[in-house]
Amino acid sequence: MSKMRSINRLYPDKAKALRSRVPLALLALSLTIAVFGCSRVDVHSDKVRGVAYVRVDEVIKHHPLYPQLAQLNDAIDAINFEASMPHAPLTPAQIAQQSKDLNAQLQAAQNKANAILASKQQLYAQQEHDADVAAVKAAGVDPNAAGIGQVMNATSAQQAQQAAAAAQQGYIDYQKGVIAQDQAAINAIARQLQAAANDKLRARSEQYQQAESNLALRLAQEDSGQRMALQTQLNTLALTTDQRKSLATQLHALDVKEANAENALRAADAQALATYQKQIGEQTMTQIRQQQAAIQSQTGAKLTQRRDQVGAQLRGLGAPPVATVKLPPDLRKRLGQIHQQYAAKFQADAQQAIEEYQATKSDLDAQFAALHGQGVSATGAAAIKLRDLQKRQAQLQSQIQDQIQREAVRLAKEMGFSLVLDNVQVANGGYDLTNDLIHDLESQHE
Amino acid sequence: MKRRVISTLAVLLALLPFVGPAAIAADLTDVGFFDQSAVASLPAFVSANQQVAQYKAQLETQFANAMRGARSDADKQRVTLQYQQEFQDKQNEVMGPLFQRAQAAIASAMASKKLSIVVDKRIVIYGGQDITSDVVGMVRSSAAITPPQATPPPSQIGFVDQSALANSQEVKTASDQLQKFQSTQQPIYQARFKDAKTDVDKRQVMADYNKAIQDKQNELLKPLIDQTRNATASVARSKNLLLVIDRADVVFGGTDITQDVQNALNK
Repeated sequence: MSKMRSINRLYPDKAKALRSRVPLALLALSLTIAVFGCSRVDVHSDKVRGVAYVRVDEVIKHHPLYPQLAQLNDAIDAINFEASMPHAPLTPAQIAQQSKDLNAQLQAAQNKANAILASKQQLYAQQEHDADVAAVKAAGVDPNAAGIGQVMNATSAQQAQQAAAAAQQGYIDYQKGVIAQDQAAINAIARQLQAAANDKLRARSEQYQQAESNLALRLAQEDSGQRMALQTQLNTLALTTDQRKSLATQLHALDVKEANAENALRAADAQALATYQKQIGEQTMTQIRQQQAAIQSQTGAKLTQRRDQVGAQLRGLGAPPVATVKLPPDLRKRLGQIHQQYAAKFQADAQQAIEEYQATKSDLDAQFAALHGQGVSATGAAAIKLRDLQKRQAQLQSQIQDQIQREAVRLAKEMGFSLVLDNVQVANGGYDLTNDLIHDLESQHE
Repeated sequence: MKRRVISTLAVLLALLPFVGPAAIAADLTDVGFFDQSAVASLPAFVSANQQVAQYKAQLETQFANAMRGARSDADKQRVTLQYQQEFQDKQNEVMGPLFQRAQAAIASAMASKKLSIVVDKRIVIYGGQDITSDVVGMVRSSAAITPPQATPPPSQIGFVDQSALANSQEVKTASDQLQKFQSTQQPIYQARFKDAKTDVDKRQVMADYNKAIQDKQNELLKPLIDQTRNATASVARSKNLLLVIDRADVVFGGTDITQDVQNALNK
């Protein structure tokens, strides 16, 4: 403004000419703003009312990282597709053997996790002890004279109590897991044996049916000559009533003879089949009971072994000692901090060991389910690959969605929307922000 | 004088895009959203969920035993229905009062903020009024919640129950046909997949399989989906609704047009 006033003073003619052009230029500029301002989107119109929506699924497909996401999805689909393929059924003996192998692997995984936990616990207890001794010495206190050893013991005892509780919980979980798995194994074996028995029964039944059909055919063939002769005579018109009756009786007698022979065989077969069914049923039940007894005995042995192990662990921990020496408040605070620090480290390592164990257990459970004809998820190396792919897929999906969310919010603010929704089924109004968002994302990655 | 008129006109024109539309219609401000997971993580809900889960585990053992005793398909169906009902009853008994309290809190927060609809937080990308903390506060407090007497005002956002629409005989028949098609195609492609030697070949088999299923889906279900969408759009127009969302994304309020869409489809 002050600049304009200076021009007025210095160049009055030029200022006059300029004044006459300014309103026209301003008008032209206003018209441009009015035209282009309204042409983009009338955010606050009756039809839009400040509302926009985004078809996020569509935007994802146009995201520059989508090809990678699609590849991951395809790889996951391929593994799942392969896992759903039918496999050759296993015999009860194979199921029992593989169940035993899987349980051994599970046991090994548990032992490994427990060993890691025990070793980490010992390591951090020692490190904590050393740090405590250093802190006590730095405070000018003699660790032995101050009875710091007992304090250490108390600290270790706290960790030991936690380990005891974890071991107890681990045993309970193990017990539940073993019982459930062995029950599943019993059920699977029972199903297999029952199916085998049904197959045998069906085969025997078909054998009898075939024999019955053969008999009916043989009888029909044997009597065919006589039957045809009788029927031919019956077709003769010049027969007396008595002659016709006699021929019909003979024909009926043939039917009865054949039917009696067939019925007799059928009854005998039914009797034989019932006996066979009873016999095979008893055999199957005996086999099931034997397998059941064997598995239950294994279950009992496994639980006893585990209980003894846990018992030994708990006995080894001993009773927690009681701290008897008082330390200066600052030193106690420092010792508390040291304990927190090592407890946190131990927790982090323990969490990792537990997660690794859980992943192995989950894979073994899937293999166990597949073994018993349940579930169609990938197992073994495929399961590890699948987990890795799923993790990467989830990360990438989340990365893409976060970026879409950020850009959608930015665009919404820029364009003046007050509400933006996803997953809209039908739009009778509002503004579809999808294409703007796609264009925006694409232009950012050009 | 002439210059002044031109200047005034210019200023008015420049302001038109900013001032004009606001005078035509007000923005939709009566839309709220709620984060359902915030309530689900409250101790009372967590404990109730654990109780239901324990009951379910217990019921599953009983159910497995009962199913072993069932001789015919009819018996199995009866047992299944009986246990489903028992589980449902328990769920209603344990969770029902908590859900009612949460619903009353949502209705109360809605009324105080003069909202016409509350949607699930997951579908809100930007804007809307967050009532989560108000609702959680009310649910956590020991004070009784009195739900508002009046129903929410009519909303310009409608909803349809997609699951109810998917229950139509036509959709069921098409879905069954698709299912059958899938079960006949799967072994064919599985055999091809087994024979595929390289990863590229395997990917090609998968792509062919997915395309076959997709094509069949387009043939069987797409016409029905389009028909439903057209009927929904028509009802939305007649009721002057701005947007229509799925029932599953609505927490409270909104305009339910499911029956109108069903009627339009049955015409």
